[in-house]
Amino acid sequence: MGKLVVAILLFATVSAAGQTPAPAYKAPRLAGTVNPDLSGLWQALNEANWDVQAHAAQAGPPEFGALFAQPAGPGIVEGNEIPYQPLALAQKKDNFEKRFVRTNSDGVRLEPLDPEAKCYLPGVPRATYMPFPFQIIQGNKKIVIAYEFASATRIIPLEKVEPALNESYMGWSAGRWEGDTLVVDVTGFNDKTWFDRAGNFHSDALHVIERYTPAGRDVLRYEATIEDPKVFTRPWKISFPLYRRLDKNAQFMEFKCVPFAEELVYGHLRKQK
Amino acid sequence: MPIAARLIVVGLLLSVPATAQQKKFRTPWGDPDLQGSWSNATTTPLQRPAKYAGKEFLTPQERAEQDKETAIGTDKRSPRGSAEDVDAAYNNFWWERGWSDGRTSLIYDPPDGRIPALTPEARKRQASRNEALRTDGPYDGPEDLDLYTRCIIRAPLPRVPTGYDNNYEIVQTPKFVAIVQEQMHETRIIPLDGRPHLDQSVPQWLGDSRGHWEGDTLVVETTNFSERATFQGATKSLRLVERWTRVADDHIDYRFTVSDPATWTKPWSAAITWNKTGMLFEYACHEDNFGLYGILAGARAQERKTR
Repeated sequence: MGKLVVAILLFATVSAAGQTPAPAYKAPRLAGTVNPDLSGLWQALNEANWDVQAHAAQAGPPEFGALFAQPAGPGIVEGNEIPYQPLALAQKKDNFEKRFVRTNSDGVRLEPLDPEAKCYLPGVPRATYMPFPFQIIQGNKKIVIAYEFASATRIIPLEKVEPALNESYMGWSAGRWEGDTLVVDVTGFNDKTWFDRAGNFHSDALHVIERYTPAGRDVLRYEATIEDPKVFTRPWKISFPLYRRLDKNAQFMEFKCVPFAEELVYGHLRKQK
Repeated sequence: MPIAARLIVVGLLLSVPATAQQKKFRTPWGDPDLQGSWSNATTTPLQRPAKYAGKEFLTPQERAEQDKETAIGTDKRSPRGSAEDVDAAYNNFWWERGWSDGRTSLIYDPPDGRIPALTPEARKRQASRNEALRTDGPYDGPEDLDLYTRCIIRAPLPRVPTGYDNNYEIVQTPKFVAIVQEQMHETRIIPLDGRPHLDQSVPQWLGDSRGHWEGDTLVVETTNFSERATFQGATKSLRLVERWTRVADDHIDYRFTVSDPATWTKPWSAAITWNKTGMLFEYACHEDNFGLYGILAGARAQERKTR
């Protein structure tokens, strides 16, 4: 059967089921398997790390001029609304206000709230749209996703896994193939990561369903459905493309940021000269 | 292969016909298959203790004796309510020491099982380091503590087993091998396509690795070390070559050779078995580093008291 015929049949079947039409692109297979090969060094090209919702440009710390100003972005949230419960929305605003400077009731400076500033493991889906590359290493039984930021790593088994035994920053991933789409069901989160620098957050009830679909030789379509009944009134979705790093000498580099964050985290405990 | 190394192979494989075994372990695309979750835990020491001088293997009785000591030594509990019962009171539940592998040292070359003599230059470096470590502290700031306490890396490469958490996950593609190290949740991504190393001006905590297959063995050479994290007091010019060979369903023969003319009078090599283990977990460390927080806060509290 010709490839075109397969594609048309596939299209017809999926359309009939009322789903998103199958992408026209047919990715090369991982040799010796029936699955598309998603391996590679990928990176998002958007401004969601500053704020997943639509936002205007903002000034950064004035002493650094334009260096750390926030780029404007159209957002990655479907419909642009994050359906917060009323109390949670107040919490998001509080997070934002205390992201860099936080004091206790006596005015003593405490460590700031922003987990990225402190070089914490960034969580899912945020690791996917931070302005750093990440590498997918797709084996035939498990997939590793290694993120440059904070050396975060996820191991995604493609076979049946036990439910999460413990809470964690990067969650507990279970992968499966739905046609050419890698679907990763992620549970077992703690409540310590944020979605962005704007203070958008979740609880330990977070459940993320990610979908990685090849959309061209050097493009993956990424979608994530985000559920958290303690914080949101309904599930919501984000989507954006991931681009392959095509630089001739592209390579996964180390970004171990703990030493960069020590002054921020422990500075107040330093011996005063 | 030197005779000593050949003896080790025989010892580790217990005369399993290696070639026939290895052919079984292939990825769908035909490479040797090292994939899975592995632990390199063992109580066999890196260097041969003086009492075993001239002796490469333990007798079965000595081995049983050593394993018994491990079992008892790690399962004792200090009297309840005592300071020792609270401070670092880790019993077997916490440890993951593994067992003896039957040899008297992980080092097999040189044949005396010991790290070769330091060069005069390295002895001088060692002396000044020892001087700095002679007293407790200072605890003026985080950079006074070691890299593990600061949650930056567990240890430089090559990884020698420690008391617990010696877990690794290997996942392969036709072009890369990924080795996830449970501590500190980082991944060594090893290209197999023969590309050149990073510019030597770029140090990384875990260096820069390049690999290739030699028959059934993954051979990885690592350069670009950071002078802030070097193995056994070597310099950043350390040359590390590691080899992984799947010799059975449940174990990998791992060995490394290190050379650094500025540190040792000759290269040396060690062999460590990687045994199949369960799924890895997230070792978040810096995120809740109450240890470092407490050390610094304690030092400041002490200063206020003595002022």
